[in-house]
Amino acid sequence: MLIRLTGGEVVDPVNGATSKRDVWIRDGVLADAAKGEKPDEIHDVSGCIVMAGAIDIHSHIGGGNVNTARLLLPEHHRAHQPRPANTPLSNAGWSTFQTGTLYAQMGFTTVVEPAMPPYTALHTHLELADIPIIDKATLAILGNDDFTLSLLRNNKSTAMLDDYIAWVVGSTRALGVKVINAGAAAAFKENVRSFSLDDVVPEYGLSSRKIVKSLQASVNRLGIPHPLHVHANNLGIAGSADTAAATIAASEGVPMHLAHLQFYGYGTGGKRKFSSEAARLAEAVNGNPDVTIDIGQVMFGQTVTISSDVMRQFSAIGNANPKKTVIMDGDGNGGGGIVPYRYKQDYYGSLQWAVGLELFLLIDDPWRVFFTTDHPNGAPFTAYPELFELLMSSDARDAKSTELNATALGMTTLASVRREYTLEEIAIMTRAAPAKLLGLKDRGHLGTGAIADVAVYRKGKDIAKMFREAALVFKNGDLVVKNGKVTHYRFGKTLRLNPPPDKAMVKRMQAFHEERYGLSLDWFTFPDSAIHREDPFAEVPWNS
Amino acid sequence: MSVAWVGSQPVSLTDAIRNAAKLLGSSRCPVFTLDADVHGTRSAIALAERLGGAYDHAMGEVLAREVALFTDHGGMFTTPGEARRRSSLIVIVGDIPAAHHDLLQAWAGSQPDLGDRHKRSWFHIDGADTPRAATFARKLKATPLRAEGQSLGSVLGVLRAGLQNRATAVSVSNFDRFRKALAGALFPVFVFSGASGEAPGLVMLQGLIADLNKTGRASSVFLPADDDAWGTALTSLWMTGFPPRTGFSNSLPSYDPGRWDIQRMIRDKEADLHVWMSTRGGETPPKGGRIALISLSKTDAPTPGAKVTISVGKPGIDHDAVSYSSRIGTFRAVPAGKPSELPNISSIINRLAEALPGQRALPC
Ligand SMILES: [Zn+2]
Repeated sequence: MLIRLTGGEVVDPVNGATSKRDVWIRDGVLADAAKGEKPDEIHDVSGCIVMAGAIDIHSHIGGGNVNTARLLLPEHHRAHQPRPANTPLSNAGWSTFQTGTLYAQMGFTTVVEPAMPPYTALHTHLELADIPIIDKATLAILGNDDFTLSLLRNNKSTAMLDDYIAWVVGSTRALGVKVINAGAAAAFKENVRSFSLDDVVPEYGLSSRKIVKSLQASVNRLGIPHPLHVHANNLGIAGSADTAAATIAASEGVPMHLAHLQFYGYGTGGKRKFSSEAARLAEAVNGNPDVTIDIGQVMFGQTVTISSDVMRQFSAIGNANPKKTVIMDGDGNGGGGIVPYRYKQDYYGSLQWAVGLELFLLIDDPWRVFFTTDHPNGAPFTAYPELFELLMSSDARDAKSTELNATALGMTTLASVRREYTLEEIAIMTRAAPAKLLGLKDRGHLGTGAIADVAVYRKGKDIAKMFREAALVFKNGDLVVKNGKVTHYRFGKTLRLNPPPDKAMVKRMQAFHEERYGLSLDWFTFPDSAIHREDPFAEVPWNS
Repeated sequence: MSVAWVGSQPVSLTDAIRNAAKLLGSSRCPVFTLDADVHGTRSAIALAERLGGAYDHAMGEVLAREVALFTDHGGMFTTPGEARRRSSLIVIVGDIPAAHHDLLQAWAGSQPDLGDRHKRSWFHIDGADTPRAATFARKLKATPLRAEGQSLGSVLGVLRAGLQNRATAVSVSNFDRFRKALAGALFPVFVFSGASGEAPGLVMLQGLIADLNKTGRASSVFLPADDDAWGTALTSLWMTGFPPRTGFSNSLPSYDPGRWDIQRMIRDKEADLHVWMSTRGGETPPKGGRIALISLSKTDAPTPGAKVTISVGKPGIDHDAVSYSSRIGTFRAVPAGKPSELPNISSIINRLAEALPGQRALPC
């Protein structure tokens, strides 16, 4: 199958300057121009922008906590239902089917669920496998489980920690490792109510810093392409910028990714003791090339916060809107909290909104800042088109600012920052950089040999509309979206690492589970066949 | 041995599929009673969506009560594994289904290795409306907490008030011991099920736990009245956004426990075809209502009253399965215990879908 996209403006900064040129797809892969060969399909995309399919590195799209949010809030999903269409389960609320559909329609072709508790990996993968069209991946959560913490407390060798992490990543089919408020979930079970970088988990005598540093070093030693994905301590708290700055400083020459930095961009200034520290954090990121961050932008309206940071979610119960929550003290790295929340255009909401944008605009290098709303924590991912517009148009920011709390905005630098993201910067931030950060060499650009994940947008003044309804989207060369609507359903893969398990570690795991849980290890692991789809996984190579 | 029947006549599986598909194809409003593992449920929901039907689980009544605790209230929970390892004080609430007794007995035979590591002690909150509960609780040497003639819900209310030092008209047995035990335990855990009692009682229990968490820690372990039913609820949630009872109209799912109560729909003749699954074996479809019935059940004889009967295997016994397990509080891949030739529900439903007019494969 040979496909030619002709007449479009190709925005692919990895492979050169933006220019009008044809894009060729042969059998699902991007190809050189085929001379003298008649394509099977020609798409005239004049007046359009052609980019690689977008990659979302942090969006809570599936797994136990996401599903509990659905259970807690049927009214929320009802509100998100679109008009009927003739596609299987495509209108099913905030379902797996709708997730794939809505992402594809915006030109996203790969999405990472960043928080998979190892013990509920099967559940996460069952959901990911039911998300159509796009490729998926997920990060295994570590750093609050008894096994890791005991290894560290008992000063076991780094080799043993590496073997354990490799076993977890392999057996849970993860693409990387995430740590969430390291040690806090374990400490919360012993009634510790606040937890910062140098606080100690009582049971183990280990500081959060020690846990983060140990995991970061292990991920690096193992050659896992994606650096340790860190959800830092003190999320959402006034003064959390100090914690974020200390965590950034703690990267110490080794790669580290900080998730949803917006939620840590707060100082204690002003009458309400809640101010923006975004400029300071942006400077810290700019000055530290080992650190990458994503934003977790807040947009206004009803959402639900879903986080494995159980200590933080428990403390947020009082702000639940509507007033119902689930708090789960899970096994080790599992659990968390579901707290519905409405972002209002009041002082707090306005400040959070501005802090996210400040970070986007003040961090210079689009290779190190990632486009997220921490779906659905800052906003549902369906708010992305509006967010693109805010980044690309200072007028749009000014217009929105007039609706918001002026005192809050006055505490920020936002009005003075006139930067507007270019399409090339958008292509880096949402395509090339995520591919690089995740170790996905086969995507994120339109070079020959890359998989044919292609998004075509109709150029127009209305930036949000342009990104909301892609004119065409190809996934592995299959045309899946036309004029903003899914026209063809297919199922992508879940991208995973597949390190060979260390035999001694497997034995140790068997003994551990039998002794501590009274169950054999096969209660906690699963074969690929449990997913009931053909080849549900695709392997991503390690760094050598 | 026959595996398919039209009426009481043994037929080939292909004939049975063709007959069942004909019924499905001409049905205006089919309803599905589910009893399957994750993959059987996925297929059934996909078929219900295609046909504009409604579905519920065979244990829909008690499942609806369990779902309502979450949709109406929420709460604080922990996993069976964490309770076993960390909790030195287990409080059983009302009646726990027999399927979970092994789990609790396994806890009784082990020691916490995290947290306070005290020897495990047991209490049992009992109501006049949960008469079967006490026998099992005695086996665990649980100290009873009860009040003469009071229902489980009101005992929970009295306990909650007492723990907040509010005066109460009735007193609960062993209350002082209970208060002391709570004060001495780092992570007390309340174990309950949808079968434990009525919905307001479950909400009261969560209120009590929330109170305890103001200054200390406490949580609950939810042991579903039926693991498979809970697995179906979770599967339904990710597939449609909603728990059962859910139905499709204009391919839009809607969650409405009253409207899509399929027993009611059958009684009121809103439904015109009932697809009844029973993989547990030895069950008969609920009576009342005379509409066409397709039976997918583990049986070696035609289901009485069914227009079509197809024999299917039990997940985890006849074939590999993925099922919710309250031993671990999540899904588990279960290898076939006694592999057989009986087809799984998912494959039968996919064949039904392909035999329908239009012949499209299901997305699951
Ligand atoms: Zn997140």
